[in-house]
Amino acid sequence: MTGILWLELIVGIIVSFTLLGVFIWGVKQGQFDDGKKMMNGLLNDSTEDLQDAINKEEKVKALKEKKAKELDK
Amino acid sequence: MSVVKCTHCHLEFDEKVMIKELENPELNFCCNGCQGVYHLLKDDGLDSFYDKMGKNSIAPPVALGADSSNFDMESFKSRYIKTTNEGFSRVDLIIEGIHCAACIWLNVKVLGQTDGIVEASINFTNNKAKIVWDEDTIKLSEIIDKIRSIGYNAYPYDRSESEKQATKNNRDYFLRMSVAIFASMNLMMIGVAKYTGFFTGMEEDMLRLIHMAEFIFATPVVFYSGWIFYRGAYYGLKNKILNMDFLVSSGATLIYIYSLYVLFGGEGHSYFDSAGMIITFVLVGKYLEVIGKKGAVDTMDKIKSTIPLEATIIVDGGKKVVAIDKIEVGDIIEVKSGEKASVDGQIISGESSFDESSISGESLPVSKKSGDKVYSGTINLNQVIRYKAIKNYANSTLNSIVELLEDSLNSKPKIEDITNELSKHFSVVILSLAIATFAGWYFYEGSFENSLIIAISVIIIACPCALALATPIASLIGVSWLAREGLLFKEAKFIETFAKANTIVLDKTGTITHGKLSVVKGNCEVLNNEQLNILYSLVDSSTHPISKAIKKYLEENFENIAHIELENIEQVDAKGLKASYNGDNIFGGNSELLEEVQINIGKEYHSTIYHFAIGSKLLVTFELEDTIKEDAKETIEYLHSQDIEVIMCSGDNEQIVSKVASEVGIVNYQAKMSPIDKANYISKLKDEGKIVIMAGDGVNDALALSRASIAISMGNGADISIAVSDVVILNDSLKGLEKSVYISKRTFDFIKQNLAISLVYNVLTVPIAMAGYVIPLVAALSMSLSSLLVVGNSVRINNKKYKGD
Repeated sequence: MTGILWLELIVGIIVSFTLLGVFIWGVKQGQFDDGKKMMNGLLNDSTEDLQDAINKEEKVKALKEKKAKELDK
Repeated sequence: MSVVKCTHCHLEFDEKVMIKELENPELNFCCNGCQGVYHLLKDDGLDSFYDKMGKNSIAPPVALGADSSNFDMESFKSRYIKTTNEGFSRVDLIIEGIHCAACIWLNVKVLGQTDGIVEASINFTNNKAKIVWDEDTIKLSEIIDKIRSIGYNAYPYDRSESEKQATKNNRDYFLRMSVAIFASMNLMMIGVAKYTGFFTGMEEDMLRLIHMAEFIFATPVVFYSGWIFYRGAYYGLKNKILNMDFLVSSGATLIYIYSLYVLFGGEGHSYFDSAGMIITFVLVGKYLEVIGKKGAVDTMDKIKSTIPLEATIIVDGGKKVVAIDKIEVGDIIEVKSGEKASVDGQIISGESSFDESSISGESLPVSKKSGDKVYSGTINLNQVIRYKAIKNYANSTLNSIVELLEDSLNSKPKIEDITNELSKHFSVVILSLAIATFAGWYFYEGSFENSLIIAISVIIIACPCALALATPIASLIGVSWLAREGLLFKEAKFIETFAKANTIVLDKTGTITHGKLSVVKGNCEVLNNEQLNILYSLVDSSTHPISKAIKKYLEENFENIAHIELENIEQVDAKGLKASYNGDNIFGGNSELLEEVQINIGKEYHSTIYHFAIGSKLLVTFELEDTIKEDAKETIEYLHSQDIEVIMCSGDNEQIVSKVASEVGIVNYQAKMSPIDKANYISKLKDEGKIVIMAGDGVNDALALSRASIAISMGNGADISIAVSDVVILNDSLKGLEKSVYISKRTFDFIKQNLAISLVYNVLTVPIAMAGYVIPLVAALSMSLSSLLVVGNSVRINNKKYKGD
């Protein structure tokens, strides 16, 4: 019985510390610098918003490629 | 009279004044700006903005005459625009006019859809934006115009070192606090198993497992999250000060070491959970202070972004644009309409009116002619003028205010908190008692383990939890009561200062008075319908505060007023308006305007005046005044009854100030005060040993607010004054001041009761623990009991309702 609990403890600690590690990584990247953004995130979660995000990424990619070509010249 | 909401800004107005559309009768707009933005968003498919906005309202868009081409100037580029590694341009902006998350969504969306913009992100907390764009596709001025077209405005700001430092510090504390909270939550869950086991019985193996789990979770809290306290204790000891950090870290370390001893074979119970939780609770409190400091840096960036960057000077008959710090005394500077004066000076040619609200707080424009002084930061509203610099930028009014404000924000003295003082001495006493107990028992009994357990019991039973809770829990209840009444206290500790304050300094415009002109006398009955319509159309064509007040007066008092088309409408420098209708000349303005066209006005007036004349005949004269808020007199009477001295300060002249003072019952007043005078006056009062509350609303009050013991700003005040204030009265009513005093005083009484409860508890229990009659577990339970007593007492604060309700 206690053996199983020891195992659970070890697994639990590994999982929770891994998640904590991911969170720390997020904080260090600056993802949590803006406290209010976390609370308002759902405003930007509709399918339309996601589609916009993809369009924007493509637009940025094209711009970056264009700029890189210019710099090569 | 039915009230309807504007479809765009959601503010409520009388249905009569709303703009309707024939094809969409369900739409109501309060102004052309709202109508324009609404259709722009609809055409671009961005009307889901209104769903996201929910019940929030925003300010109607302001038509900005300012030209955005200065954003493309070389001097601007070299100062604000950076180039990214990929070759794009990047600028940091502060977006003005953001009220809710939907506003941010809209800005990001519109900018995201604009060709050439690579990245547009806006911080929800401080409204600062980072924009990266391709210079070959779009210019920065076009981006700014885009932001302005949807009703917002943007200013550049310099990402300063202090901001980077504040962000880094903020992130560091947030990380340490997150780890502490994560581990403490686990410790609490494990604690449930452990304490249940004490009553139901537990195998030795199981207890060891629990201790091991506690050890794993408590270690990062004590050494990683608690590192701040060890560092603070080290610097304290280096300066020979036994500070709070030392007590928190030594308490937690002692409990941790004892628990380690139990974990690796010693007898007794471990207290890893207590060690972790002490650190966590104190750390959360510290984090709130760090957020406050970050806020101060953001405020300074906002203020600095309003300073003009460059000025046009006249050299050898030609114009030259120079950076403002290059302007020398004696230079001739040209200021166009809509521009800000960059340094202080004296007008040498031209006549115009200036918006001096950033210096004097008065919303009414001031007319200036040759020989008059111009102050930096004031806005030229009408014609081009030229003036001679009499000070360089560093010594000019605006820069002096900014520098003083920066100093006071960085070194705002922390209010001496009696509880902190008390718990500091208290902890030293308890630590000494614990050491004495350990030494006494060791010599008396000779058992190291038993002596250590008794000494630890002393520390735990006296753990200043009840003492530490006495102030925050009562303050929290007080603050939430205040918040329900629309009174936002930015920090709970202000309650104490508020309750002890003995002097209140009130600004006049916007605080005691409404800050808006309204017609007090106007004999409109002499006008026929056509003349009324002409007057209405004339005042409707101007955005001047006097014209707006008369427009409002006409709408409220006369039905069936119609707009008619006037011809040749012309603004006369700081005097009024000229127009013509059916061949007749029409004049509306002050006495000077009528004198200029040789119309006799009959007598001299001392208040603000608006004459209306057709041809050469004066038809009607309006007298306008700023009206006093309805509840001002009552509130001031209440404050007097609480032995609080009330002083009124204003930038206005003696005559107006004394009139308002006598009407509301204020004996002590100060007139003609500049922002710096006000601030010095507050400092003087504080030097006399008074605890001063200052209430104000304008940009001109910001400096005085930052000097006061407690700064209150009215909800519709300038962003800057709200940012530097400690308390915000949301509903703009002076009654809020009365309620704040009442609730703060009541809450402070409870804080004192709580302190008494926890001190009595400690005086009774510590001797019992020292005598060795309490095992650590019982000590922990009794400590919780004392905390419960304090919490229970605090809940009573709310029981007695405010008499005025």
